[in-house]
Amino acid sequence: MARARDFILDWAAQGRIPPHGVRRALEYSGALPGAADWRAFLDRLLLWLGVAMLASGVVFFLAYNWQELGRFAKFALVEGLIVASLAVVWWQGLEHAGGKAALLGAALVVGALLAFIGQTYQTGADTFELFAVWAGAILPWALVGRFPALWVLWLALVNLSVTLYFRAFGGVLGIVFGPERQLWLLFALNTAATALWEALAAAGVAWLRERWAVRVLATASGACVTALAVLQIVDWEPGSDWAAPAWMAWLALAYFAYRNAIKDVYVLAGGALSVIVVAATFLGKHMLKAQADAGAFLLIGVVVIGLSAAAGYWLKRVASEMERT
Amino acid sequence: MNALRRQDLWQRLREAALVEGDMPEPDAASAPWYVRAMLGAAGWIGALFLLGFVGAGFVWVMESASASFVVGALTCAGATAIFRLRAEGDFAAQFGMAVSLAGQAMMVFGLAQWFERSLTGMALAVALQQGLLFVLVPNFIHRCWTSWTAASAAALALAGAGLPGFVPAALTAALVWIWLSEFDQAERGALLRAGGYGMALAAVQSTMLHGELWALWILGRGTHGALGGETALWLGRLASGAVLVWAVLRLLRREGVPLQDSRARVALGGAALLALISLRAPGVGPAVAILVIGHANGNRVLAGLGILSLLGYLANYYYSLQATLLVKSALLASAGIALLAARLAMRRWWPEAPEVQRA
Repeated sequence: MARARDFILDWAAQGRIPPHGVRRALEYSGALPGAADWRAFLDRLLLWLGVAMLASGVVFFLAYNWQELGRFAKFALVEGLIVASLAVVWWQGLEHAGGKAALLGAALVVGALLAFIGQTYQTGADTFELFAVWAGAILPWALVGRFPALWVLWLALVNLSVTLYFRAFGGVLGIVFGPERQLWLLFALNTAATALWEALAAAGVAWLRERWAVRVLATASGACVTALAVLQIVDWEPGSDWAAPAWMAWLALAYFAYRNAIKDVYVLAGGALSVIVVAATFLGKHMLKAQADAGAFLLIGVVVIGLSAAAGYWLKRVASEMERT
Repeated sequence: MNALRRQDLWQRLREAALVEGDMPEPDAASAPWYVRAMLGAAGWIGALFLLGFVGAGFVWVMESASASFVVGALTCAGATAIFRLRAEGDFAAQFGMAVSLAGQAMMVFGLAQWFERSLTGMALAVALQQGLLFVLVPNFIHRCWTSWTAASAAALALAGAGLPGFVPAALTAALVWIWLSEFDQAERGALLRAGGYGMALAAVQSTMLHGELWALWILGRGTHGALGGETALWLGRLASGAVLVWAVLRLLRREGVPLQDSRARVALGGAALLALISLRAPGVGPAVAILVIGHANGNRVLAGLGILSLLGYLANYYYSLQATLLVKSALLASAGIALLAARLAMRRWWPEAPEVQRA
């Protein structure tokens, strides 16, 4: 329905639909809500808004009385929330959106529970341990749940615990070497996850086919390798010389994978942005000396604009070509 | 797949005698959102370097307010010329965007130095500047940007003049007015939509921040600095609720539903209930108005923005200082129950039709 609206408005702007006919065309194609749609909308709005406000009221009330609640009452509340969510999962079943949302909610509350345990009992654990344990705890659920959002949450937790681990155990050398080693590990992790996801999706696992999730993974992988390349150019610390080749290899791999095999222009767009950022950094590093040179700024600016225009042109062509097939 | 749907739709419209002739060729230039986002990000990087060029090469420009403004204005004029002469080219669009952003930054820099002591004055000047650019430059993304900044600047001017409570209502009212005329002026559709999206972003922003926190944060002073004190605040909240009722009234008029109709009464009843809730939780009215207008126009992005502003407002409400958490929780709970009761009432007053009828 959203598509029909776009088509009709395009045609109207080109003058192919007379001005007085636009509204009728939209209604006819079902892009606008009719009486029955409005009733359903009002029904759902009142329901969701009412439930959300009621639930918020309960949460606010608990927050107000938080200090006065005993330790066991607080534990009971948090654990009760998890049990209630799991009950919803059992009742709705994992095939329905309600069950999936409940499982995701339960997974999030597990984190709150772990944080609460750490705070109450003063275990002295590092923050990365919290995220690591949290990831470990929800792994069985992710395996059973079989829906993308939960796996994305799991991967985000793993990423966080890796990042925080290096922050905790860096020490003096960590401050110098830390960012790079951590980025390499994150890059390896996210790229492996993306590759595995795409491979499984292509092999026929249907529930992995949601594009948004694997795009998030690909973005994380691309961001890591771009950061590595930028760090090497800027000569942040005596790191390895592998960043630039790794970046180029990633670009080549992404191009071949997403241009021909899996057709997804999103990753190609991300790759283009990565190229622009690295090119700007490279030029900036070599042309901007101690006192900022006006000509250098202008040249780099023009190069950036030229690269992005070329990239835009290419991406639009690829996108429309993919749409046609 | 889309080509097939397009063809199919044209065919059906032709059979209904709403169009005639052959289907026009699809516009190759309309690109997916992530390509546009990438181009936008790259445009910014380019603008930063251009600004660096001006800053490095013409240091005297930055030192003088007038020079900064004049050079900025000339730069924007150049960008406008690029957009008008070569509207289609990708490179021209990119270059023009970067040049225009750099020019706007220079002009704002000059204005900031001129209006050093008056926030309202500067905000009004910026709003005027961005409004002029909105009219003159025909690029869609550029128009979204200029309308967003113009609306935000106007809102800031209103707040600086001492009426921060009315900002969400004013912005949402403008939004409702723009979007409800979307289909009446189809030939200027792109301009209206760009303006509408920019206004929507500004309205969402102000709705999410509704309350004293915004005034404190932006203006550095609390509600005591506002004109009219407590009364003005209450009037602002009233306005926030009223804007929803007004939006529903205009929508009913557009759909041709008479006010005596039971459906109209149900809709207005719901709006009135939410307006009442807005007296205590003022972000609810504007947020629901955005959602309703988005749904009415079949625009999922707008409806999504409405939901987003509602959630953001609830989070903000948690921190608002006007009442204790206990009072707020009681208000929310009773509001929730009232809404659920209203839903039950609606099922009685507006029963489901046995067959689907189009209005």
